Amino acid sequence: MSLFTIKHVRKTFAHGEVKEEILKGIDVTLSEGKITALTGASGSGKSTLLTIAAGLQTASDGQIFFEQQELTSMRKEELRQIRAKQFGFIFQSAHLVPFLTVEEQLALMLETAESSLSKQEQKKEIRQVLELVDMWKRKDAYPPSLSGGEKQRVAVARAIIHSPKVLFADEPTASLDSKRSQEVMKLIQKLSKERQITVLMVTHDMEMLPFVDHVIKMKDGIIINDITA
Amino acid sequence: MNMAWKEIKKNKLRYTILGSIVFLISLLTFIISGLANGLSQDNASLIKNLPNGIFYMEEEADETYSFSSLSKQQQQEITEEESEAAFFSIQMGNFIDTSDKQRSIAYVAADSAYFPEVNPGEVILDASLEDEGIAVGDEITNEQWNQSLTVAGFAEHEKYSHSPAAFINPDDFQTLFHTDSMQIAFIADSAIQNADDAPIFEGLQAFSNNEFLNTIPSYNAEQMSLNMIVIFLLVISGMLFAIFFYMINVQKLGIYGILKAIGMKTGALFQMMWAQMFLISAFSLILSILISQVFQSLAPSGMPFHLTWQATGLLSLVFIIIGFIGATLSGIQIKRVEPMQAIQQGEM
Repeated sequence: MSLFTIKHVRKTFAHGEVKEEILKGIDVTLSEGKITALTGASGSGKSTLLTIAAGLQTASDGQIFFEQQELTSMRKEELRQIRAKQFGFIFQSAHLVPFLTVEEQLALMLETAESSLSKQEQKKEIRQVLELVDMWKRKDAYPPSLSGGEKQRVAVARAIIHSPKVLFADEPTASLDSKRSQEVMKLIQKLSKERQITVLMVTHDMEMLPFVDHVIKMKDGIIINDITA
Repeated sequence: MNMAWKEIKKNKLRYTILGSIVFLISLLTFIISGLANGLSQDNASLIKNLPNGIFYMEEEADETYSFSSLSKQQQQEITEEESEAAFFSIQMGNFIDTSDKQRSIAYVAADSAYFPEVNPGEVILDASLEDEGIAVGDEITNEQWNQSLTVAGFAEHEKYSHSPAAFINPDDFQTLFHTDSMQIAFIADSAIQNADDAPIFEGLQAFSNNEFLNTIPSYNAEQMSLNMIVIFLLVISGMLFAIFFYMINVQKLGIYGILKAIGMKTGALFQMMWAQMFLISAFSLILSILISQVFQSLAPSGMPFHLTWQATGLLSLVFIIIGFIGATLSGIQIKRVEPMQAIQQGEM
């Protein structure tokens, strides 16, 4: 069942007089609980497509639907609410808040998502998710004292703590070594299966593809290959 | 979650520096304000102790009380209109005390309950002279007088033009200064806020309490200089908040962008900044208030320093409002930051 649909999306950037079309009419459908990988060389438009789909930047043309709601026609505040409650984000860098402990990073996300859980339930959920990413023993640590792999695992935990329906991951393993990358991908795969989270992920690392259900290869702003496993 | 406090705790040095600067500026502001108020008391407590009302001087005196002379007929007219009207005269002069020391003084003669009642041949002095060794029963005189006056008592906080007041009987005033007219009429009326609302008497000019204070030589210039310093310090503190939070915000734009990306409201980020501003200001101001009050209690008695809790409270409120404006102006960047900028910046 399709949860998320991207229809004829175009994106044009203007550099003075020169206009550059980064996306040239993209159509993508994300199935519920599946992992979709956007691959392609640098400049192919995959990261631009991901950020447009996530509502972080606007499309020049086209439509994006999430649960039958058109994101492309929503006001900024409506879009913010969707991002806070229904979406989760993992970036290339962990982007953790430096003055919050691991546990507090997750509590902040629950607060941002206006979680309906009681304080007690929130604590329980945080523990459960941190145990899932094997970070519970480091719950009181601050980001500067964490390794790259640990930071990224906390970023994954923050992205899923509020039980989002869609997880957007922009090269989530780019800053990690091969072993850590495999660990993070296994984690994303496990979470996607267990929590029925739909994942749209950008990657240029071919070693990550065995973990995904659907691969979309892009080149110069168009889809050149669309393979479902 | 109290993110504001958590950030302060994690960046103690940064916020201690800001707090210290706010503390020093606010302490300086309180001290200067105390001096301004102290000098104001030292210059005009004789007038400031009077209730709200209207002062009258001769129009021809050109706002200079020493040139004013209210004739018996004018005094009669005023009394007919306002039976409670008071009349008084002030004469700057000097006297020689029992140890032959010459001192500056403001002689005041009045027939009013607003001033101490004095018997002929006696004088009631401002209490500051008691601290300087003058005692009840001492005789004071002047080189030009044929008589002396006996100190009958002391009155608290009665100064005029930075000189202690000496209340003498109107008959003695007439003998010593060769005048039988009074310089100033005063009608107490709490409802009057402006001289324009006062009853009109031909040939007389009306002044409200504040307007009359400004006729005292040097009062206006002195107060204006000190008040301008206080205003500049308040403005500087506002700019300080704006610059400091601007610098901190620039460093945190990446975090703000990411927090916006994950769905945090811009308003929540502003609240965090305001809470930090309020916490730092409140802590610094409480410390400044306590130290300025300790300073007041330890200051030498001759030092014109007067700082009320009300004045510090009011100044603190102005500090917080200005800090709030400064921080909010710097926070415009928070509103402008786009999540995409932060994501593209990489790790912070």
